[in-house]
Amino acid sequence: MSENSPDSSGKIGYVVLGATKAEGGTRTVSFRLGGESDLPFIGMNTGQGSIPLVAFEICDDPEYWSPIVTSYTGDLSNDAREWAGVAEKQYGADIIRLYLTSTKRRGFDNFSSITTVMEEVLSGTGLPLVVEGSNEPAIDSDVFQRCGEAGEGERLLLGTAEAGRYRSVAAAALAYHHSVLAQSPIDINLAKQLNILLREIGVKADHIMIDPYTGTLGYGFEYSYSVMERIRSAALKGDTDLAMPMITSATDSLSVKEVREADPAALEDIAVEWEFYAALSSAIAGSSVVCVRHPKTVPLLKSAFRELWAGKMPGEA
Amino acid sequence: MALKALDIYKLLPKKNCKECGDPTCLTFAMKLASGKGDLEKCPYLDPGAKNILGASTRPPIQLVKIGVGERRFAVGEEFVLFRHEKTFYHPPGIMFEVSDLWSGKEIEAVTRRVGSEHYVRVGTDLTFSGVAIRNESGDPDQFAEAVGVVEATGTHVPEVLMAHDPAVQEAGLKKCGNFRPLIYSATIDSYKPLCALAKKFGSPLVVSAKDLLSLGELTKLCNAEGINDLLLDLSFPSLREYIPAATEVRQKSILRSAPELGYPVFLDTTRYPMQDAALILGIDKYAGVIVTRALSPASSVAALTLRQNIYTDPQKPIQMNPGIYPVGNPGKESPVLLTVNFSLTYFTVQGYLESSRVPCYMFIVDTEGLSVLTAVAAGKLNEALVRDSIKKFDLEHLVSHRRLIIPGYASPLSGKIEEETGWKVLVGPRDAAEIGDYLAKEWKS
Ligand code: SF4
Repeated sequence: MSENSPDSSGKIGYVVLGATKAEGGTRTVSFRLGGESDLPFIGMNTGQGSIPLVAFEICDDPEYWSPIVTSYTGDLSNDAREWAGVAEKQYGADIIRLYLTSTKRRGFDNFSSITTVMEEVLSGTGLPLVVEGSNEPAIDSDVFQRCGEAGEGERLLLGTAEAGRYRSVAAAALAYHHSVLAQSPIDINLAKQLNILLREIGVKADHIMIDPYTGTLGYGFEYSYSVMERIRSAALKGDTDLAMPMITSATDSLSVKEVREADPAALEDIAVEWEFYAALSSAIAGSSVVCVRHPKTVPLLKSAFRELWAGKMPGEA
Repeated sequence: MALKALDIYKLLPKKNCKECGDPTCLTFAMKLASGKGDLEKCPYLDPGAKNILGASTRPPIQLVKIGVGERRFAVGEEFVLFRHEKTFYHPPGIMFEVSDLWSGKEIEAVTRRVGSEHYVRVGTDLTFSGVAIRNESGDPDQFAEAVGVVEATGTHVPEVLMAHDPAVQEAGLKKCGNFRPLIYSATIDSYKPLCALAKKFGSPLVVSAKDLLSLGELTKLCNAEGINDLLLDLSFPSLREYIPAATEVRQKSILRSAPELGYPVFLDTTRYPMQDAALILGIDKYAGVIVTRALSPASSVAALTLRQNIYTDPQKPIQMNPGIYPVGNPGKESPVLLTVNFSLTYFTVQGYLESSRVPCYMFIVDTEGLSVLTAVAAGKLNEALVRDSIKKFDLEHLVSHRRLIIPGYASPLSGKIEEETGWKVLVGPRDAAEIGDYLAKEWKS
């Protein structure tokens, strides 16, 4: 450990996302996140930790997606299978994060369609998946059950668990051996509390990722940035209830005034920079996976991480 | 080594005369111990004590002022490694590069842009900080001419003179030396003549060396020449080295374990393939002065917003005044949407409501600046607050209906609010982005 570390002994725990054939799944790659025992981008010369990964966010019903993205992708966003494939092969994402936005439709009850979408996306890409189930507590249990089952063996990250609303997602994760994305509202104590709740009902620490909730640039980002730094510091000081890798997504980036109302000629550039500035800063504050929605942000982040990272690359022993 | 307040107190005159602006010598000593006092304020201190105290009571990171007039800025004087431990005080100056190989027109355009470009965000005016004039011609006259072009714009923006050759540097300083430009940069080979120039013109000086150890040695040599207003150049060959080096400098200087590194950091982002990435690193991690090529419009807003975010005081909740805020031209039948007085929540929700084009009232209740999620969890947002706020802002006379839309995250409170107020509660979406859709589908007046 370097002399720059806060006083201590702690270490970020590991979480594995995705399972290859040899590991019982069908993914072409899997990632072991975590393992850092120093501040972000510092201890890597000593061979610890892993390079931050970039997740590209897609959805199964683009009506609920930013027009900035859908006007860029065109018809592609109507086909989650193909979109996932393009995100892997053309955008260069490491992970696909699928939002089941179709469940937002009023009175949604077509649960078998979830299984279909899951199967399509799993066949469209070989990358590990993060899956965001329903937004509506009444149908959580049905939705998560289908997601979990369709992805059995693939070591998904299932989201989103929140205080007061984590049982359905945790049950599906436990039943089919997935990990849980645990989101708390920009508050280190609530993050800790949720992790404890999850562990009490049987979710193991190495199956939890922390989402501290990311306000976008100019809209609360400073709070999120500091909560990430606090969580990372607490983990390094030995708090095992906070020693899980973090996943962050400034999901409002494409809808804030500065971006939405930008001059049409500059709109795409502003959208990309707004995501890039928040995502790179989140990684600097300690996030292991950063999620973005604009295709052009992915290669920017990947090159920035490669430029900053001196440690092991994924897959290297 | 830092002295404790009591050790400092022993060295003070103990007159308790208040001339330093503090009520007693002891409180003055406590201020000095925390690095925030100014020794010069006590007129009765004997020179011996002054010498002892001088070294150990200056702020752990030297305060360095750059430029003069309205646009001058200061960097350094920071006390913590993480902003949540207290706050960061002095945001980095972002300086746009120009070259003495450019035409006068090009130099003038960049300078004027720095002079006039600004964005207003959350009531604050955000601007870039100055111009960095780089000597690429190798010619003193050409450099002086370029400096002259910047000066002639009359923008009075702070400058960095980027010339390693002391003769060239001097030619530039002759044009603008009265305006406290930052001199870049002294190395082990050039520090003597450059320190002499820094002294002559009262300018701060950047020092460059291959690693932190050599930088520390160089600052001591500069101190011996009488120069204390220094910046450390951490623009090492690989951007990878920046975060570890900047963190080590910050950590050692605040612990005062390496006073020779107790200076603000200088970062030249133009030498890296990804200038934006370097700029983000500098803003997030401790830079005092950052040189960049003029930023694109998209990067400009993002960079200034990030700098504002990182340098906002984290202890201070950002609040709106509670009350009723109309959006569009609402009438007696228009919907009323309750939310909290966390200003970012307000601005986000307001943005979506405006674009939904449904005239409505925003009903802002006082959660002491907490977000909806946190206010619900902490019990700050509760039925009694809603009841009292309805009375206080006279909502009952403002609209003829009795329906209140609450944020999705406040749904656990819906029953209690109905009981307490007699209003019908409708649970809105959790995500502000969905509010337009929600109103279109759910609101029938
Ligand atoms: S001015 Fe000096 S002597 Fe007077 S109260 Fe302050 S510290 Fe004490």
